Amino acid sequence: MAKSVRQSLYYVLLWLISIAFFLPVLWIFLAAFKTKEQILAIPPKWIFTPTFENISNMFSGMNFEKYAVNSVIISLSAVVIAIIVSFFASYSFSRYKPKGTDFLMFLLLSMRMVPGAAVVVPIYLMYTALGWKDTYYGIILLYAMFSIPFSVWILKGFIDGVSLRYDETALVNGGSRMHVMFRVILPQVKPGLVAAFIFNIIFVWNEFLFNFIIGGKKVTTIPVALATGLYKTHGVDWTFIASLSLVYMLPLILMIYFFQRYLLVGMTFGTVRGEV
Amino acid sequence: MKGIAKWLHERNLFPYALLVPVLIFFIVWNILPLLWMVGLSFYKYDITTGEPLKFLGMDNYQAIFRDHGIWQALSKTFLFVILAVGLETILGMALGFLFWGSSKMPGRRLALTLLFSPMILTPVAAGTFFRLIYDPVFGIANYYLEAWFGLKINFLGDVKWAYPAVLMVDIWMWTPFMILMTLAALGSVPKAELEAAQVDRLPWIRRLWHIVLPHGKFILMLGILLRTIDAFKTMDLIYTMTSGGPGNATELIAISLFRKAFEAFTMGNASALAIISLLIAIAFTSIYLYILNYKERRA
Repeated sequence: MAKSVRQSLYYVLLWLISIAFFLPVLWIFLAAFKTKEQILAIPPKWIFTPTFENISNMFSGMNFEKYAVNSVIISLSAVVIAIIVSFFASYSFSRYKPKGTDFLMFLLLSMRMVPGAAVVVPIYLMYTALGWKDTYYGIILLYAMFSIPFSVWILKGFIDGVSLRYDETALVNGGSRMHVMFRVILPQVKPGLVAAFIFNIIFVWNEFLFNFIIGGKKVTTIPVALATGLYKTHGVDWTFIASLSLVYMLPLILMIYFFQRYLLVGMTFGTVRGEV
Repeated sequence: MKGIAKWLHERNLFPYALLVPVLIFFIVWNILPLLWMVGLSFYKYDITTGEPLKFLGMDNYQAIFRDHGIWQALSKTFLFVILAVGLETILGMALGFLFWGSSKMPGRRLALTLLFSPMILTPVAAGTFFRLIYDPVFGIANYYLEAWFGLKINFLGDVKWAYPAVLMVDIWMWTPFMILMTLAALGSVPKAELEAAQVDRLPWIRRLWHIVLPHGKFILMLGILLRTIDAFKTMDLIYTMTSGGPGNATELIAISLFRKAFEAFTMGNASALAIISLLIAIAFTSIYLYILNYKERRA
């Protein structure tokens, strides 16, 4: 009996910690359903009659749909391109171990060490010179580049874990290399693909700096719309920020709820496969 | 498609062909801009004035070494990295251990989703909203501070408080990441060894030292490495909160860089600074990788 009480207290403590970390996010989400006066009210209002006006205003006002569609198209295509390209490379790294594999793997990781504010200067100059500013392919391929290093690391870990016998059996039975890669190996590394996808989409979905600098009217995503749409005539437009943040964050929250296992796999480059 | 693969295969080129797309990305988006940047760092290049490029040699670098503001920004950045990563690691590991035995907790998935929610929040949104939370008049933080402790602090407007205030937000956002990494590290410890330790009644501190750390240290170090790199790069969170102010109290190196490039438009100068920060980032990473390898070699 004493043990089960202790256990319950332990679970209550863990729940309280989780909620404590969630509180600021909750405060933003609540604001999405408040009027402007309620958001700025002192003492703070935790209980109130929710209004859906902010969210409906957001959908009808500004170019919400355009920015949201941009966010979805750009994030999805960048990450998918990165994963396809990375799958080829990691298959090669894992199965053929070409000369310089270790060095190339390190170089790839170093792509992500560079501070964004440092890369953005030359990228900006290059994009201006080549006329790639404010184009979909310009921004998509740039984000794909950012997503490649971790995808290669994660996928190589997974392909290493698939026994070579599968390749050999398929080849002996007359399958081509393409057949081996797509029909034999690919289905077995699905968790790796999901993990790489989740890991990278979190970054790309929230990315601000590059889209702000090398993007433009055509390819604006929500984070940039959020940063540039802050001010109304009377100071910061809190209802707008709150409702936009809520709508924009929901897909990611649902994703880490339903694919929680893969979040862990991705964060450790596939070195951990089990449950958290 | 099949024909091409076979042709490449007969000539042993197939493995390299598979690498071509990644290499193209690497060359076009990394090597080229990098060379471009190295080149520019020797020139005077202001976008706004439209003057032709002017070769300066090492002048940009010398100017940076003489620039008092840059040294301040650098020391603020180092302090930020040490404090943020240090506290996130300590807190994350402690909470990670606490969550270790929770696999049968009711609603665990939902609890963990809430726990991890700060790190998936768009930094721009988080930064903006914390301006309201920290606001001296309308902010919830000050309301409770005053109600409970009788204090009133202008977090982001006071030179003394702005730095710890933005540090707190970073710690709130990224401690969950270190919790996640700690859980991952703990998950990689073989169950059999833990059970053996249980049978031997090893004290928990020795279990930690002799069993958990040797197995989990790689993942923990990876977490610390990723956090160090990202903390060094911190930009949009702080920029939306304070734009580096008040004064330059929260101006980290990434913000100085952004200002030089896109507020002053002195691209040559910014390139030189970018290269210096790049070298610092590489030094960080090499030290970590060296420590990791060194320990492994000794073990």
